[in-house]
Amino acid sequence: MRLCLFAAWILLASAFAAPARALDSKEIYQLNQDRVFQVRVLNRETGKKSSIGSGFIVGDGSRLATNYHVISQVILEPEVFYISFIGSDGQEGALKLLGLDVAHDLALLGAEHSLGEAIEMSPLPPRGAPIFAMGNPLDLGLSISVGTNGGILNQTDDSRILFSGSLNPGMSGGPTFNASGEAIGINVATARNDISFIVPSRFLSALIEKSSSDGYGAETDLKAEVARQVLAYESRYIEQLLESDWPNLDLRQFKLPGVISPTVRCWDNSAKLSAVALYKRYQIRCTNQNHVYLDEANSSVGRLLYEYYWLESEDLNAIQFYNLYESLNKDQVDAKLDRDMVSNFNCETWFVEVSSQQMKSNLCRREYVEYQGMSDVLFTAALTGHEDRGFFITLILTGVDYHATLPLIRKFLENTEWTP
Amino acid sequence: MDSLILEISTRGLHRYEPIDDEVTTLGRALDNDIILSDPTVAPHHLKIIRHQDGRLELINLAVVNPTRVGTRPIDTRELTRLPVDIEVGRVQPQLLARDNPVAETRPLAGNGRRGHLFGHPYWAILLALTCICVDALDFYLNSYNSFKWSDLLKYLLRETVLTIGAFVLALSILERLLVNRWEMKQMLTSVSLVYLMFAGASVIVVGLDYLLSASWPSTLFHFGWYLAIIPAAIAIYLIHISHIKRERSIVLALLIASPIAVPSILQSPELQALLDNFSSSASYHNRLSHLNWHLHDSVSIDRFIEQAKELEPGEIAD
Repeated sequence: MRLCLFAAWILLASAFAAPARALDSKEIYQLNQDRVFQVRVLNRETGKKSSIGSGFIVGDGSRLATNYHVISQVILEPEVFYISFIGSDGQEGALKLLGLDVAHDLALLGAEHSLGEAIEMSPLPPRGAPIFAMGNPLDLGLSISVGTNGGILNQTDDSRILFSGSLNPGMSGGPTFNASGEAIGINVATARNDISFIVPSRFLSALIEKSSSDGYGAETDLKAEVARQVLAYESRYIEQLLESDWPNLDLRQFKLPGVISPTVRCWDNSAKLSAVALYKRYQIRCTNQNHVYLDEANSSVGRLLYEYYWLESEDLNAIQFYNLYESLNKDQVDAKLDRDMVSNFNCETWFVEVSSQQMKSNLCRREYVEYQGMSDVLFTAALTGHEDRGFFITLILTGVDYHATLPLIRKFLENTEWTP
Repeated sequence: MDSLILEISTRGLHRYEPIDDEVTTLGRALDNDIILSDPTVAPHHLKIIRHQDGRLELINLAVVNPTRVGTRPIDTRELTRLPVDIEVGRVQPQLLARDNPVAETRPLAGNGRRGHLFGHPYWAILLALTCICVDALDFYLNSYNSFKWSDLLKYLLRETVLTIGAFVLALSILERLLVNRWEMKQMLTSVSLVYLMFAGASVIVVGLDYLLSASWPSTLFHFGWYLAIIPAAIAIYLIHISHIKRERSIVLALLIASPIAVPSILQSPELQALLDNFSSSASYHNRLSHLNWHLHDSVSIDRFIEQAKELEPGEIAD
């Protein structure tokens, strides 16, 4: 008898322990079609859509998760726009903003009543596993896109999953499911050709946890909140850069900061010279990938770009060489933003001693009009005092706290080493 | 009774008619004593009567465009003083006494001396050749590839010969229209001198920019060149070479310079920034010099960072 009971227990346990059956795209669609909605930004006057995206039920059933960029217009012009949802069954209603995670492009919205059963969230499946993105592409109705998990991208500060599948405009904010029908992330962006990006669900879980059910009050300055979040993220990012050891890269007679973060990629940008050129030039350009979407007009901030340019010649005389050197040293960097968004740049010039060399340096700063405390910073430095060698650095940071960038510029210069 | 002279000026040409008879008639008809072939002049327009007692009388004969003295139309007018400006249609003769004083004799360009800069064609040719040499040097100093004669010749033809040629031709045509003379050698000398002055000043200004770590020398030069130096050069030419009166020369110089000056000033980034009050570009000081002469002291990285803390953002545009 005991043996029979034990056998029955083993059978029962093994039945529960067996892995859940993998669902196909049709089953995932059917399971979630009433839990994924179109999120719309509507004009208060005309009642027509200004932008659309997707969202899905989370938390207690009355909340929708979507991307920040889907509803960012409401942050900029709350008196003109409001947020609403519409389901595949025609159910619709207004939504209020409960929480924002601008750095990870997430927003949490609240409906007046429960919209249905919340979608469960899950960590990322193994790399290569099939995943399914749901959303409303191009306002054509709910659809599902099948692809595979390409893993967490460290060049985006671990905030993006590579999805080898297709995402189209309108699918932003929709859920991405694993084969068990659990949300592993939120659709966010595409680089076309089946290269798309997902925000991991852990960031959404954190946002749900810290957001209040009442949302932001009418008195809340949402632009100030956006600026606060972006600046906090960028300052953390700069702190990480300052704390880490920077590998060097060699460019002729300079040892320079190389790939200073996993978020940075460096490329050789040296232009091909004609065979009759009497000089040589080398250019390396490094940029980060973890940009932060700010709004439709400003696009993204959080850009870090540094560029090195080396010039040398044995055949040009000093005047010729400096004419060439000066012509390559641009006197302006155009970052096209409208007068409503940013102030003018203010620039100042110094001659700075860097590794026993004298560098003519310019530092420029402008601020964002709508986002308090946020600045774009441009630093350039050109080597002087050599008749046949020239070198300049350009460093650009956007959407940052100006004073937080100065230690980074200092570290840059301290890690710039001249080797005679 | 003293005899009189009627000075008739038409488009820079002066004609002098003696008024010796007791009665002199002016008009378009061929039976007049003085014929004025202008469509606004009546066939018999004006009669000038010299009375035995010395009085001088003008009698208007025209119905259309009656004769005016000063600004007023007349029927008859007895003249009490000379010279008198008369309007006969759109012809404006001046009645003068024979002993009317004349202006001082103007010296020839270069005081008539052949060795003077403006006195002989070889100076014009020498200065034009100097311009070509200066531009050839400029081409060489701004060439970063292996030297090619064909490139140099193309550059000189395009940048020097055509530029100087176009200015000399255009200004000579203007001179011809203004004073009915061609002064080609003086014109070529003047244009070449201004051209060389520009080349020399540009080098100095670039050096000053670097020395002061500022862009105001080049900005000042850009505006000063078009607004002051070019008009001044033209005015000096008109006064001393074309012998046009000073005030008229200044007005003419401003008018002549304006087709070059106005677009250059309007298109300058400095003025655009001033008018627009906003630029999305960060304009900073990019001048570099092999001489490396600068008034700014070099600072350490620490000092630079300390000072950089004080940098304020730019102005927010209206």
